[in-house]
Amino acid sequence: MKRILPFIIILVVLGAALGSAWYLTRTIPASPALGSQSVATPATQGSPVAQQQQPAVQGVPGADPPHVIGPANAPVRLEEFGDFECPPCGIFHPILEQMNAEFGDKLSITFREFPLVPTHQHALAAASAAEAAGLQGKFWDMHDLLYEHQNDWKKEFDVRPIFEGYAKQIGLDVDRYKRDMNGDLVAQRIFADGKRGHSLGVKGTPTVFINGREVPFENLPAEKLRVVIQNELRSSGR
Amino acid sequence: MRKLYAVAALLSLFGIADALYLTIEHVTGQSVRCTIISGCSEVLSSPYAVMAGIPLAAIGAAAYFTVFSLAILALFGYRIAGKLLLPLVGAMFLISLWLIYLQAFVIREFCQYCLLSAAITLALFVVVFINRRFRG
Repeated sequence: MKRILPFIIILVVLGAALGSAWYLTRTIPASPALGSQSVATPATQGSPVAQQQQPAVQGVPGADPPHVIGPANAPVRLEEFGDFECPPCGIFHPILEQMNAEFGDKLSITFREFPLVPTHQHALAAASAAEAAGLQGKFWDMHDLLYEHQNDWKKEFDVRPIFEGYAKQIGLDVDRYKRDMNGDLVAQRIFADGKRGHSLGVKGTPTVFINGREVPFENLPAEKLRVVIQNELRSSGR
Repeated sequence: MRKLYAVAALLSLFGIADALYLTIEHVTGQSVRCTIISGCSEVLSSPYAVMAGIPLAAIGAAAYFTVFSLAILALFGYRIAGKLLLPLVGAMFLISLWLIYLQAFVIREFCQYCLLSAAITLALFVVVFINRRFRG
């Protein structure tokens, strides 16, 4: 017995390791609804991006009015939960710009603040800067600058002077911007967007919803997102 | 000094868990998105996280599993297993140093669970080294 025991222990550990790996890879994927819904919609096209028909979710409302590009009644309404310090969000930014250029009025894009505060030290400041710019009608200008220059500021110790530089660059009233940065209105907007994110089950960034359904992260590269949007357009009949 | 083999086995169990976790993060693509819990892990999504198409974390998990098996065998008196342990753990230690170098100077981002793995490997190295020393 004593000669076999070590092998038994080794096999048990191997089994436990493989078993837990199998179990976790089954349950982790961002959208647990995927597995069940592919049964519910058997006729979807065989393409890898066709698994989009999850039930639409409502969630609590976010900041009002939201930051939207494109018509409010566009057939495809995309909502991004983003964090300006998050590198994959920075990578996603030009993809969204490209989609906006390609689909024009058929696509509306909403941005929701989802700063990952303990992970990203400047995320909240960046979100505040964008919202403060938004109070002067320049949210998207600040949004673009923050994403495009992400690598210039995310490693800095103090980002405030950099963001003030952006504020000047896009023609904001800088004194008002500085006041708004720390004001209640900006804080409430970020909080409201965060609440909406949590109510929709957002755990990370970027998380993207199209017409209320979460787009799996692996479908966010431009060539796949394009197909998702086209499918959505087709099913809306426009 | 046989007890030290039990310590090594226990340490490698933690190593298996850590490396498995990293492998799952890598494979499911969770590591590419930023989350509150695990950060962004530029490390896991970097080209250095893959070797010949296999996630480095999976290779790590296999290495820890080998260490565990050898330590258990040595604990039960299989001499040859004890002898193999030092070169294997030594190699893992050197690779860990290289990975820390990559994180510090090339990727310029640290990944907590990768550092935990390096710490476990360091502890394993110390335990196995002391064990061989006292024996010989």
